[in-house]
Amino acid sequence: MSVLASEWLKVRTVRSSYLALGLSLGGILLGIAVAWAAVGMYDSTTPERQAHASIADLEEVVLIVPQLCMGVLGVLTITSEYTTGLIRTSLAIVPRRWPVLAGKSAIVGLLGLVTGPLVVFGTYFAARLMIGDRFRGSYTTPLLDKLPTLVTSSLSVVVFALLGLGLGATLRSTAGAITILVGLVYVIPIIVGNLPEPWSERLGSVQIGALPREITGDDLTHSVYGSLLPPVAAAIVLIAYAVLPLLAGAWLMRRRDA
Amino acid sequence: MVRCDDRPPYLILYRVIELKRLTKRYGDTLAVDDLSFNVEPGHVTGFLGPNGAGKSTTMRLILGLDSPTSGEALVNGRRYTSLSRPMREVGALLDASAVHGGRSAYNHLLCLARTNDISATRVSEVLQQVGLAGVARKRVGGFSLGMKQRLGIAAALLGDPGTLMFDEPVNGLDPDGVRWIRDLMRSLAKQGRTVLLSSHLMSEMALTAERIIIVGRGKLITEATVAELTERYPSLEDAYLALTASSVEYGAAR
Repeated sequence: MSVLASEWLKVRTVRSSYLALGLSLGGILLGIAVAWAAVGMYDSTTPERQAHASIADLEEVVLIVPQLCMGVLGVLTITSEYTTGLIRTSLAIVPRRWPVLAGKSAIVGLLGLVTGPLVVFGTYFAARLMIGDRFRGSYTTPLLDKLPTLVTSSLSVVVFALLGLGLGATLRSTAGAITILVGLVYVIPIIVGNLPEPWSERLGSVQIGALPREITGDDLTHSVYGSLLPPVAAAIVLIAYAVLPLLAGAWLMRRRDA
Repeated sequence: MVRCDDRPPYLILYRVIELKRLTKRYGDTLAVDDLSFNVEPGHVTGFLGPNGAGKSTTMRLILGLDSPTSGEALVNGRRYTSLSRPMREVGALLDASAVHGGRSAYNHLLCLARTNDISATRVSEVLQQVGLAGVARKRVGGFSLGMKQRLGIAAALLGDPGTLMFDEPVNGLDPDGVRWIRDLMRSLAKQGRTVLLSSHLMSEMALTAERIIIVGRGKLITEATVAELTERYPSLEDAYLALTASSVEYGAAR
């Protein structure tokens, strides 16, 4: 518990945490701006074209903002200690070492658990309010039908935060960990999407971006992703994205000279 | 033996650092080579050696930061890594610049204190003791090296430990600060604590330490009192230069 208190204080007392949280919540503003522009365009066009207009789920569009911001926060939580050398002190005063990483996991996980739902639900309700029954009523589906997708998307932010922390603990380098984090979101899915079948669909199904929507059973045929996994398997793979790098980091942290 | 006002003598006898054939190899470099010595309470023990002699590695091994290739280092008869609240037994300053520049001095120390259940009152106390109370709320990034040294010393003192290790604490300090460190080290030792101090400033070491341990290329070269060394040589500096003449080697392990 005392290590947890210390880790909480560490996060609270550096600016980068507030920047990451602020930028995450900025995702809502981005969603509102897009909704506002879309409504403007919709209202100024002809009824014939309105009948064919559609809009993406804005909370899904802006989801990448809190995902990346919290992922980077996860990375920085540990790599800032390695780059400054503070980690030596942190590990010397907690010789068992793993509580340090466990404490950090709890804190960044919790922050992901707060920001994820805030951004996803915030954007969703704002967009719902602004768009109303425009765009063939895509924002008029009952909330209950929408709930599984919203919850899963929210929780994916927790996965990103923990993934960032795990990568940071494993690689001990800010640049390295952020590069891999961004690579997992942007680069690898594009490479995988261009592979010949069946590998494109197989590997596309285990991409971190595909998993939340496989959990809710969405149709991913028109994306770079595949959707071969049943919901439970998709959930397990998504959790593995958070847990495996953390376990690797914890194991290395225990074994390596600090 | 050493007397201490507030603690019974039998505790003091055990408050020591013991190295038993400690060896650390990085790849094919032997950073610490079969090193055995004891550091006793009641006086400042100077830890000398050329750059790359293995002083910092030895301190990291004592603190369990690096694991020894063979041999062991004990603090108060126990391995450091088996201590549950190590700050209360051992305080160390290894690298004064190893702080997050964005955190205030107070918050930095409080982050450390929390892990070992040390109170916020104690944080204010040590800030006062090292003369940083006035800048406690300032971000550490703006501190001079001398101020960071004071902050590092404050961190070492947080748990009021019986054993203290300082790696080059005098670097970057002004004459006033150098005098302050000397008095602090001596008073900590006088209270019955075990103090291991590394430094390259020989004249300063001659004034501060009572016993000297000299290492070179990871091996023990000499273990003697300052008095013994200055008897055999014109000064501690001459003693050091003569004894380490064959061990100066650059580019050795950390």
